[in-house]
Amino acid sequence: MTNKTLDELSLAQRAELEKELGEAYDFDPKDPMFGLSKDELSGPDMSRRAVLRLMAAGGTLTAMNMLPLAGGFGDVQAASGGVLTCGWSGVGQIVTLDPAKIDQVVQFQITSNVLSGLMHINPDLIGEGDLAESWQVNGDGTEYLFTLRKGVTFHNGDKFDADDVLFTYNRSKDSSKSIHSRVLKNVNSIEKVNDLQVRFKLAKPQASFLTKTLERSSGRAMTIVSRNALQKMGTAQFGLTPVGTGPFKIVEHQLGQGVVMEKFENYYDPSRPKLDKVIIKPISDPEPLAAAMESGDIQLIGGNPIAAELIDRFTANADLVVNEVTGPGFQSVWINPWHEHMKVTDFNKPVSELMKEKGFMVRLAFAKAMDRERYLKIAQFGHGTPAFGTINPAMGFYYDKGLEKTSTQTFDVKEAQRLMAEAGYPGGKGFPTLRLATTPSGRREATVVADILRKNLGVKIQVEAKEWSVNVEEFDSMRWDLRRAGSGGDFDPDDAIVDWMQTESKFNGRKRDKSKMPFGYFSDREADDLINQQSTQADPVKRKALVQKANKITSDKVASIFLFHPADILVYHKRVNLPKQSRIPGLVDLDRVTMS
Amino acid sequence: MYQYLIRRTFGALVVMFAVATLVFIMLRLVPGDPIAAMLYDVGDPAAIEEIRRSLGLDQPIYVQYGIWLGNALQGDFGNSIYGSRVEVSRLLLEALPRTLSIASISFVVAIVIAIPAGLIAATRRNTGADYAVTLVAFIGLSMPDFWLAILLIIVFAANLHWLPAIGYVPLSEGFWPWFSHLILPSLAVGTAFSAIVARMIRSSMLEVLNMDYMRVARSKGLSELTLVWTHAFPNALIPVVTVIGIAFALLMSGAVVVENVFAIKGLGRLLIQGILNRDYPVVQGAILVVSAIFVFSNLLVDVLYSFIDPRIRYGS
Repeated sequence: MTNKTLDELSLAQRAELEKELGEAYDFDPKDPMFGLSKDELSGPDMSRRAVLRLMAAGGTLTAMNMLPLAGGFGDVQAASGGVLTCGWSGVGQIVTLDPAKIDQVVQFQITSNVLSGLMHINPDLIGEGDLAESWQVNGDGTEYLFTLRKGVTFHNGDKFDADDVLFTYNRSKDSSKSIHSRVLKNVNSIEKVNDLQVRFKLAKPQASFLTKTLERSSGRAMTIVSRNALQKMGTAQFGLTPVGTGPFKIVEHQLGQGVVMEKFENYYDPSRPKLDKVIIKPISDPEPLAAAMESGDIQLIGGNPIAAELIDRFTANADLVVNEVTGPGFQSVWINPWHEHMKVTDFNKPVSELMKEKGFMVRLAFAKAMDRERYLKIAQFGHGTPAFGTINPAMGFYYDKGLEKTSTQTFDVKEAQRLMAEAGYPGGKGFPTLRLATTPSGRREATVVADILRKNLGVKIQVEAKEWSVNVEEFDSMRWDLRRAGSGGDFDPDDAIVDWMQTESKFNGRKRDKSKMPFGYFSDREADDLINQQSTQADPVKRKALVQKANKITSDKVASIFLFHPADILVYHKRVNLPKQSRIPGLVDLDRVTMS
Repeated sequence: MYQYLIRRTFGALVVMFAVATLVFIMLRLVPGDPIAAMLYDVGDPAAIEEIRRSLGLDQPIYVQYGIWLGNALQGDFGNSIYGSRVEVSRLLLEALPRTLSIASISFVVAIVIAIPAGLIAATRRNTGADYAVTLVAFIGLSMPDFWLAILLIIVFAANLHWLPAIGYVPLSEGFWPWFSHLILPSLAVGTAFSAIVARMIRSSMLEVLNMDYMRVARSKGLSELTLVWTHAFPNALIPVVTVIGIAFALLMSGAVVVENVFAIKGLGRLLIQGILNRDYPVVQGAILVVSAIFVFSNLLVDVLYSFIDPRIRYGS
């Protein structure tokens, strides 16, 4: 944001802005609750005051977040109606929209407009009530009593009530019907109190319960489905044209050709949606996607991240808006700790002890030699944020801005070269050629990684691009030297550190030979404990401390070479009005969108 | 003739069976676990095993083959292993009209260009017209169809806004919406096709034009048009029809790259995505259809020979 934006505000708007900023920062830094009460942190959603206070406490609040015209998108001005055609990038077909079977972000970006959950995240990744009007949490955080919204109907006219929540829960718990049953493993039971109230009983407190388990898009396990529609349509058809309570209903879905959604007239919020119709076309290749946008065939690009090389082209087009925010994810270069020349068999030592081991010296040398700024400039065309841990800036409150300076992975070529020499490989001499595994679409940027390491350390790295199914199999079995991979859709710290950084994390070498490899790519007891603790910590301030401590350990001990946090870039025609409330990183919510 | 047709049909079925069996085995030998890849993000080994079991993928390969073959003989190609597990037959029925649309219009484009071009080049051999046709044919053959496709999109869609850039509209929604979406893909595919056919027509016509009977016909005073169109061209058609038959079969099996560029989910794209995803039932079903297209196209070409050249008869 520049001063020009401030100059455009009226005197009254500037005064209001300054007042809100002042109030947000008006708290005692020693107060662990930052002047907020427990009720202010409970549902149905957090007040604007509470959100701004937490952001101020986390050091992420600026006037940018509060301006009505911040980020280049403004309040809804245009009239309702119209048809929006979207291109879904990097995908050939939307194979399913059944939340029980969804396994890709491109799918739940669509279902977020069609199906509802008890909760939905806002642009600050904080949970707000969706079908839940309010909720109460018991003293130890193991029981949640939800009061459901009244007068909600499904697209087929059925009334929504507590029975639908129970049905969805039972379906999702059944591993033969849902691939997300694991998400509910902490839920012991769910009880119908009355038609509009349900009680969840958890085995142990779960900090991410509202934003992860119950979230309507990425949550999936508790995305509410219509039991009547499922029974009538069968699961195959339901997966193509699911029936929910969302602002849009699906009227047509041809695999490979696209999805057509129409406005649901009886949505619980009568002011939404604004559009009459939305058409979503999957377009796998970047050039046709760009041409479709430039020709006006599509007016908005969603789906997988847009090819970085197209961004400048779109930016130069006066008819298009390129809206960039930090994406909810991280990308890394993973190092196999069981490789003979990079071997680390026990991470449970202080860094100072690990530094005496040749394998760790090599590991740290690689991390320190990684020029992230250069990588971003060449591989990502300048888009993205350098990463030093799994916790991404979009998480706001939990993100540690200072880690860039305090991490052992901070870029330092001379130190990296010294470490390699001390490990016995001065200038990379005598170090074997490593294979860097990636997918065919990742070949170009993996080559940039290889080139940077070759230039800074003299090590030879050969890029091996293999299809996704082969790539995944080799990663799970730990049959690789280095690997380029990461995570997206990380809205809560659990998505990052639980899923990736624990010894028992689901991606951590689950198919390895355990007799030869006691752990996969990383294991640290202290990190495991901290991550378990933060997972059950309801107090956000305490949780933040635990998250950041665990994140620091994984960074300092080089769990991986953290590379960057991808940018979340939305491109749309200037006729499309996308209000701030709709700009949720990783999602494409269209219920407030209008066309000029 | 009927006996010939029956024999050839039987042979075609044997070929299809052999191709399907080979593909079945090869798919399962190729590295990569489709279920693990599909559920990678979920990371639940129990869910992975449950799905593998429900799809019968935990069975020995010969059991899987037996089940698949038995169902295929009854017209049931199974369900896609991905997402909503849509029936393969449904996917094929949705993809075929799109591929047929592109193939048909590409075919018409190619023939409309190739026949006059080939005839002109042959009848005006070693003149400027011949060289021009030859040069254009070489350019058409050398240009990758995906490159031409992107160029057409940039010019006619992105810049001139004359035609849509991507997508497919069924004929049921109107002739012009359907046709306008097919012009650019058909041009991209048909250009190389027309170059091949034009060259073949030229070469075949040159051979026929030099035959004795043509000299006799010319000496009888027949017009050039009658000579070329009535006497030379039909006899030059045999090798041309062979090439057209093979090329059409290739078109029908899906111009994969062009389908990808224009985001049209035809047979080729269905097949390629199936292979990349290791979606076994989809690949097996699509391969059966593709092999059927090839063998029956060849059969049709052979039958056409007997109409083009009365000397060719298929007896017992």
